[in-house]
Amino acid sequence: MNEFTKTGRDPLDEALASLPEDVRPERDLWPQIHAEIAKTPIVAAAPASTVQSTWFRLAAAVLLVLATSFVTYYVTRQSLQTPIAQNVPESLPAPQVSSQPASFSFGAERLGAGYVSARAELDKRFQERIATLPAADRVKIERNLADLRRAADEISATLAKNPSDPLLQDLLMSTYQSELQMLANVSELPTAGSMRTDL
Amino acid sequence: MRVAVTVAAALLLAQSASAEEIQKSAQADPRGEVVISNVAGEVRVTGWDRNEVHVSADLSDDNQRLEFRTSGARTTIEVMLPKGRSYHGSTDLVVQVPRNSSLTMTTVSADQTIKDVRGMQRLQAVSGTIQTELWNEDLEIKNVSGEVHVRGHGGKGMLRATSVSGGMRLDDIGSEMDLNSVTGDMTVRVSELSKARIKTTNGDVELRASKVTDDVRIDAEAINGDLRFRFPRTLDAEFDISTFNGDIDNCFGPKPHKTSEYGPGNTLRFKEGNGDGRIRLKALNGTVEICNR
Repeated sequence: MNEFTKTGRDPLDEALASLPEDVRPERDLWPQIHAEIAKTPIVAAAPASTVQSTWFRLAAAVLLVLATSFVTYYVTRQSLQTPIAQNVPESLPAPQVSSQPASFSFGAERLGAGYVSARAELDKRFQERIATLPAADRVKIERNLADLRRAADEISATLAKNPSDPLLQDLLMSTYQSELQMLANVSELPTAGSMRTDL
Repeated sequence: MRVAVTVAAALLLAQSASAEEIQKSAQADPRGEVVISNVAGEVRVTGWDRNEVHVSADLSDDNQRLEFRTSGARTTIEVMLPKGRSYHGSTDLVVQVPRNSSLTMTTVSADQTIKDVRGMQRLQAVSGTIQTELWNEDLEIKNVSGEVHVRGHGGKGMLRATSVSGGMRLDDIGSEMDLNSVTGDMTVRVSELSKARIKTTNGDVELRASKVTDDVRIDAEAINGDLRFRFPRTLDAEFDISTFNGDIDNCFGPKPHKTSEYGPGNTLRFKEGNGDGRIRLKALNGTVEICNR
């Protein structure tokens, strides 16, 4: 049961009513806050998150390419296991198969070790498959892969100097995707060996 | 000399004696699937109005075998080679299929020519030219070093084409396309363009659209190649164009400006008509050219 004062009001209400309605600070802090805001540069958070989302998108694309490629690989694995004698003129020099990966000097670490090892696996299958292709096609594919990797290197180097450029980020991601797509496409190419059988 | 001529004649006779022409046919579903594979030579496929698949195979020697089988709605035609042996021959296939069949074709270094096949097509080759038509069903092409020629008929089929170094010539194709190339050039003619996604690394792209839909969506990018797009005189679209080192040429009027005061890069954003469509073009070193005439 509540007790009431002589005025008939709740003592808590009276105590609250007796408090001052505002308390003045010992000193005015606002000018200092304003000065701090003014001298702190406005940092756009967007580029960082754009970069991050860019790499997430690339990682997602890589996973998609790898998943598709793995399925195709297992389906066609049988044909790969057959040693293939190609209808390639023996006189053609075997081209040097470049295993030089695209430069990941800008941001590969963001994709993690899992990405790097998965890409290496895709590259390994590419090397296996390209070795079974006619020499003339091997040369063309390698030349084009080198073009892609050179483009990635160029964009990567330019991006290092202009790290917040969204055009370069997009083009780099797209070029990495193209490289992975090409590795996957070549890994799935038909070869004469896949059409051979015991007659 | 006489000995050489005699030996050459003997070899020719031996070859012609071992070469074999095979004709096979079977009833087929009018909308069934035809699967064809060949290593080297040529494959010609034509759609006809019979519910029957017919193949004429010119096997160059006895080491080849033609596999022809049907299973349900699927007809398979395969040129089989002996396992583990070096082989230098080629096989020519002439195939007739029901006009609305879908077609899956895989070759290594054989040319593919397809006419009047109106079902879905999936064509894959390492080298050799792929020449086909696009109707109302989708068409997917993957080629490494051969040329790709597609002629459309104003149908609604979507085209997905990937080429590494071969060029693409696409005439009067459907309104939706997804095109990828590393060094091959692309020449594209579209009567009405709705959706396009185009990527090239070093190849040039030349696209001419007689008409674009109100909600057109175009995303195109090039690293070292040029993008040249011709649009109709009037269209409703918002343009967003950016290059890092390349120029931007615009016949529509607005001029590009530098992306930043001190760094490289050009940007051009403007709207034509209501601006309902979206046209985004990007290039690193290549030139982007858009025009409406």
